[in-house]
Amino acid sequence: MDNLVALIPLFPLIAAAVIGIGHLLGLLNGEASEKTTAAIASWAIKLSCLLALILLGADLLGKNTGSWALGQWLASGTLNIQVNFITTGFSVKLAALFCILLFIVIRFSINYMHKEAGFHRFFFILSLFAAAMMVLVLSDNAVGTFIGWEIAGFSSYLLIAYAYDRPVAASNATRVFVANRIGDAGFLLGIGFSYAWIHSLDWSQINTLSAQLSPRQASVIAFCFAIAAFAKSAQLPFSPWLARAAEGPTPSSAGFYGAVMVHSGVYLMLLLQPILERAPLIMILVAIVGLLTAVYGFFIGLTQTDVKSSLFFSTTSQLGLMFLECGLGFWQLASWHLCAHAIVRGYLVLTAPSLMHYIRGNPIKPFPTKIANLRWAYIASLQRLWMDQIADRILVRPVCRLARDLAYFDDHVVDRAMGIPIPALHTISSLAQLEKQKIDGKLKSQDEDFARGSGLIGNLAHRVTAALYWFEDRLVIRGIGKDMINYGRQLGHATNKVEQLLLQPGYLALFVAIILLVAL
Amino acid sequence: MGILSVILLTPAIGALVLALLPGRNPSVARGIGKLFTSIVFLLTCYLLISYDSHDAGMQFNEYFSINPKIGSSYALGVDGLSVPLVVLASLLTLLALLASAGITKNVKGYNIGILLSEFGMLGVFLAQDWSLFYIFWEITLIPIFFLIDRWGGERRQTASLNFVLYTMSGSVFMLVSLIAVFQYVPEQVSLMSAMTHVSENMPKNQQVWAFIGFLIGFGVKMPIFPLHGWLPLAHVEAPSPVSILLSGILIKMGAYGLLRVVVMLPTAAHTLQPLLVFLALFGIIYGGLLAWRQSDLKAMVAYSSISHMGIVLLGISTLNEAGLTGAVLQMSAHGLIAGGMFMVVGMLYERTHTRNIQDYSSLVQVMPRFAFFTTIILLAAMGIPGSIGAVAELHAMVGGFQQWGGLMVFFSMGILISTAYAIRTIGLLFTGPVKPQMKQIEDLRPPELLALSVLVGAIVLFGLLPASLVELSAATISQMNGLIRLRILEG
Repeated sequence: MDNLVALIPLFPLIAAAVIGIGHLLGLLNGEASEKTTAAIASWAIKLSCLLALILLGADLLGKNTGSWALGQWLASGTLNIQVNFITTGFSVKLAALFCILLFIVIRFSINYMHKEAGFHRFFFILSLFAAAMMVLVLSDNAVGTFIGWEIAGFSSYLLIAYAYDRPVAASNATRVFVANRIGDAGFLLGIGFSYAWIHSLDWSQINTLSAQLSPRQASVIAFCFAIAAFAKSAQLPFSPWLARAAEGPTPSSAGFYGAVMVHSGVYLMLLLQPILERAPLIMILVAIVGLLTAVYGFFIGLTQTDVKSSLFFSTTSQLGLMFLECGLGFWQLASWHLCAHAIVRGYLVLTAPSLMHYIRGNPIKPFPTKIANLRWAYIASLQRLWMDQIADRILVRPVCRLARDLAYFDDHVVDRAMGIPIPALHTISSLAQLEKQKIDGKLKSQDEDFARGSGLIGNLAHRVTAALYWFEDRLVIRGIGKDMINYGRQLGHATNKVEQLLLQPGYLALFVAIILLVAL
Repeated sequence: MGILSVILLTPAIGALVLALLPGRNPSVARGIGKLFTSIVFLLTCYLLISYDSHDAGMQFNEYFSINPKIGSSYALGVDGLSVPLVVLASLLTLLALLASAGITKNVKGYNIGILLSEFGMLGVFLAQDWSLFYIFWEITLIPIFFLIDRWGGERRQTASLNFVLYTMSGSVFMLVSLIAVFQYVPEQVSLMSAMTHVSENMPKNQQVWAFIGFLIGFGVKMPIFPLHGWLPLAHVEAPSPVSILLSGILIKMGAYGLLRVVVMLPTAAHTLQPLLVFLALFGIIYGGLLAWRQSDLKAMVAYSSISHMGIVLLGISTLNEAGLTGAVLQMSAHGLIAGGMFMVVGMLYERTHTRNIQDYSSLVQVMPRFAFFTTIILLAAMGIPGSIGAVAELHAMVGGFQQWGGLMVFFSMGILISTAYAIRTIGLLFTGPVKPQMKQIEDLRPPELLALSVLVGAIVLFGLLPASLVELSAATISQMNGLIRLRILEG
C-alpha cells in the first residue's frame, strides 16, 4: 500500500493546476463557474483524504514498509536526491489529520467565499497549499520537505495579500514572507550541514546516522533546523508575523495559522527528535524559546479586543508550549498536543466570524484587579512589547540604508565608470540653475565688439586683447575662480557622504573590525 | 597707551558702540560711523604732523609681549613706509562712508563692517610683529566678505566666496614662509626688526622658496598677474564704497608686505628679480588691455588697478632707491586715484543704474561739477604731469631704466594703453549727442563734492608739490635700500 502515498499530494496539485490554468484561460471565471471550481478543489481533497486514511489504516495494520521511493530527482556526484515518502508513524497520522482539516476548510470556504471577487484564485492557492502541506509532512527527504515548506510559505504570502489592492494587506504579506525567509535560510543551512557531515538528505538517514556526529555537529544542524521551526511556528523573536497574517480571509487563516501550517515547525522538531536529543544545548534553547513565546502570547493576548487577534496570540502561546514540551523531551505529549490543538484551533478560527452571535449575553470575565491596574504592563502589552519596532530598528533600517548607499555607489561610481550616461547630470533641474545660466550667458555676450582699434596698431591691440580676454575669462575667472568653488563644493559633498557613512553604526563597526583585523 | 594703539582701537570701539547700540535708525548709524572714522582721520593727521621724517627708523614704538614662548608680541610702530598708508587708509575709509548714501539696507551692519575692516587694515600697517601682522591680515577678510556678500551686486555670493578662497589660499603660503623664516631667527621672536637679520643665517635656496611663498601670499592681494582672479569679480560686485576700500587700501596691504619681505630677504629678491620684472611688465600691459576692452565702467577700473599695481611691482623689482620710491609713491597715488575712480563710478551708477559706458553721453551738460572731477581723476590715472600719478610713474621709470634699460619700452606701452582707455572714457561720458534718458541727472551733492574735492585736491597738490610726500618716506627708503644693497653685495 506504500505507493498510494505519492497520490496524496498529487490530487490537490492537479486540482490547483486545473483551476489555475482554467482561470488563466478564462474558462473558470465569475460566479457561474464557482461550482466547477469548488467541485474540483473539494473532490481533490476528498480523494486525498481517502488515500491518507487508507494509508493510515495500512500503517496501523502494519502493512507499510516505512518508506517508498518514486525515483531519482537529482543526482550530481555524491549528491543524490530521491523523490521518496514516509509511509509509517507520526507523519502519516499527521497527514491524515491535516487532510481532514483541509477538507473542512475547503468545504467551509465554498460557502464563505461565495460571490467574492477572487473566488477562483482563492481555491487555486488553497489547493496548492494543501499539496504543499502534504509534501511537507510526507516527504522522506529534507529537500522535499523544504519544497513543501517553501510553497506553503508562498501560498500564505499570496493569501495574506488576497486583498492586494489594500496597502496594509500587501505590506503585511511582504513582511510575513520576509520574516519566514529568515527561517528558510536556517533550513537551507541545515540541509547544507547535513549533506556535508552525513552525506545524505533523507530524514531517516539523518536521524540514524546522527549518532556518529560529534555533539557540536549535531548542535549546529539542530540549531539551523530549530531556527527554521521558530520562524515557521512564530516563536520568538519571529512571533509578530502571526498577528500580521490575520489580514487574509478567515478560512485561509484557519487553514494556515490555526490548524495546519503553523504546526509544521513543531512537526520538524518531532521529526528531528533523534538529532535534537544529541544536542542538549539546543534542547534547552528550544525549551526557553518555547517558554518565552508562551508567556509572550499570553501577555499580549490579554489586551487583544478582536476575535482573530486573541485567537492568534493564543495560538502563539500554545505553540510555545509545544516547543517547551519538545525542549523538555516530552515528545509524545508534544505530538498529542499538536494534533489536539490543530483540531481545536481550526474549529475556533472557522467559527470566529459567528462567535459574536454565540457569546451574546455572556460577557468576558474581568481581570483580577491586581494585574489590571499595572499601567506599564498594559501599554507594553498593547504595543506587543515593541517587537516590530525593534525589528525595524535592528534589521529593516540598516538594510534600507545599505541599499541606499549601494544605490548611490551604483549611480555615482559604477555607472560613471562604465560610461552609462546619467541624463539628469548636465541638464537644468532647478529654476535657480536656469537663472544662473541666464546671468552667465548675459555676461558672456557682453559687447564683444566694444573695444575696437583702427589701423595696424589698433588691430594688433584688438587681437591681442581678444586673446588675453579669452585667457582671462576661460582660465582665470571661470577656470580657477568658478571651478575652485565648484570643486570645493563637490569635495564637500563627498566628504559629507563619507562622514555620514562613518557615523552609521554599522559602517563604524565594520571600520573598527577592519582596523582590528589589520592590527592583528 | 600710545597714539598708535589709540588709532588702532578707535574703529574697533566704534564698531562695538554701534553693535551695542539699540535700534536700527540708519541716520544714527551713519552719524556714529562717520564720527569715529573722522576721529581716526584726525588722529592720523596728528600722527603725520608729529612724525619726524628725518628719522629712518621706527617711531612711536609700542611693545607688549603676548606669548613669550613662541615669541609673538603686540608691537606697533610706523616708519616712512607705513605712515602714508596709515593716513591713506583713514582718509579713504572716511571718504567711503561719505559716499555711502546709496546704501539703505541694514545701515548699521554696513557701518560696523566698514569700521571693522578699517581696524584690520590699520592693524596691518601698524603691526611691527609678523604674527600680529598675520592676525590683522586675516581679520580684514571677515568684514570685507560680509560687505560684499550682503551689500553687493548680482553675483555677490560668488564674488565674496571667490575673494575669501583666493586670499586664504594665498595666506597659507605666506604663513608657511613665515614659519620657515622664523626658524632662523636667533632670538626666537617674530618681531619684524628681529627678522630683518635673518638672511644672514638662512641658506640661499631656502630664502628663495620662502620668498616665493611670500610672493604668492602677497601677490594674491596685490594682485600680481596670474593670481588676480578674485579682483575683477570682487571689485565689480562690491558696493562702490567697499570697492574704494578694496582698491584704495586693501590691495596696498599686499604691496606693503612685499616691500617688507624684500628688505627681509634681499638675496632671494635679487635672485628672482627677472621674474618680478616680467610679472610687473606683463601685468601692466595685461591689465591695461583688458581695461581697454571692458564696457562695464567698474570692470574697467578694476583691471586698471591690476595695471597700476604692476607699476608698484616694477618699482620693487628694480631694488634701487628711485624704483622703491616709485613703488611707495605709486601706492599712495593709486590709493587716491583708484579710490576716486570707484567713487565717481559709484555716484554715476547710483544715479543711472547702469555701468555700461555706452549708455552715457554728454554728461557734462547736466553734471558739470562731476565732469570736472572725473576728468581730473581719469587724467591722473593715465599719469598726466601735474598729478600724483605722474610723479610715481616717473620715479618707477627712472628706477627701471637704471636697472633694466630698454625693457622700459613695455612700461611706456602700458602708459599708452592707459591713456587710450582714459581718454576714451572721458570722451564717451561727457561728449557726444544728448541722450534723452541722460537728461535728468542730479549733479554732485555737498558731501560728495567734499569727498571728491579732498581726493582731487590731494591728487593735484601732491602732483604739483611732490617734495613733501617724497620727503616723508625718503629717509626710510634710503635706509632700506642701503640694507638691500649691503646684503646683495655680501651675497
